Amino acid sequence: MTQVKSGKKRPSKNDFNAAFLTGTKEALQFPAWVVAFALIGIGSIARETGAPAGVAALSTLLIWAGPAQIIFFGTVASGMALPSVALAVTLSSFRFLPMTIAIMPLLRTPRRSLLVEVLSAHLVAVTVWTECLRRLPKFPENERLPYFLGFGSACIILSTASTLLGYFVIDHMNVFIAAGMLFLTPAFFILSVSAGAKSLSDWCAIAIGLGFQPLSEKLLGPEIDLLAIGLLGGSCAYVIHRMYLRGLS
Amino acid sequence: MGLSDWINDPFIPYLVLIIFGFLPTEIWRLAGLFFARRLSIDSEVFIWVRCVATVLLAAVVTKLVLSPVGALATVSLIGRIAGIISGVLAYLIFRRSIALGVIVAETVLMTSMIL
Repeated sequence: MTQVKSGKKRPSKNDFNAAFLTGTKEALQFPAWVVAFALIGIGSIARETGAPAGVAALSTLLIWAGPAQIIFFGTVASGMALPSVALAVTLSSFRFLPMTIAIMPLLRTPRRSLLVEVLSAHLVAVTVWTECLRRLPKFPENERLPYFLGFGSACIILSTASTLLGYFVIDHMNVFIAAGMLFLTPAFFILSVSAGAKSLSDWCAIAIGLGFQPLSEKLLGPEIDLLAIGLLGGSCAYVIHRMYLRGLS
Repeated sequence: MGLSDWINDPFIPYLVLIIFGFLPTEIWRLAGLFFARRLSIDSEVFIWVRCVATVLLAAVVTKLVLSPVGALATVSLIGRIAGIISGVLAYLIFRRSIALGVIVAETVLMTSMIL
């Protein structure tokens, strides 16, 4: 009943702010810190390449994808031709296409503004995506977009600051802590994506991705392995999902 | 043009970041937005797309664990794999807490570095 009521009510500025703050608060309860700690390592990698601090911080604010940032700084430092750098970065970032498509239906509002949608799409990154995909359905529709914007902003701003921190303090950080920080990314990714899995297709997709990446890399090399396993493995998970549903009916 | 020629320039590193780092990533998000605007909300495509995204994510995890960069490369392969597995097990066994899973994964990884 309350669902219907809040759906009919005109969303006011106060509702928007309240949901935005809820998103910010919940991000700061844990997920934002995980990304921020994980991105401290990016600051140190950026510094090793000789890039200025501003570029390190902006790489988080603009690229907003740890693996792509590592590839960007790594390939630039190795002296790779810039078009090849762009190609390596773009191949590693392909996941944002399906991720953005999958989350957008949750963020639709009656008054759709292109600017807000572009901003929302920019905030899509693994942590924000897995956590919001899991959390958003619990909120009434008019609170989802502000919650997402609050959650994503908290993550990206805290991480930009932590990248800068990593740029300046890395010399004083021992290898023990540095390894632990870099390990946060895979550890949190797998837990977060498992926590969000709700159907057979999700679990199949997780198993296929985890298990077949090495084969894909061996067959196709370290550049297009993810793209190939994503499209092929994702289609397999989808077919298994369809076959299962057909078996039920 | 070598790296050393431009990395000390006050503006070029920012241009390089925007053209060769930011745009190649952002293009996928914008493409995603473009397609999402044209799909009906209950389209079957969304289920397939979610499958593709989830496989990609899980594959990134395997890649980060098997081909680590930086300081993580100094940890043994067994330590890295044991960290991930124990983190997931802790999550499944104890109250489904992500925070606890992360702490267990990190503890196992760091213990393996001492041993």
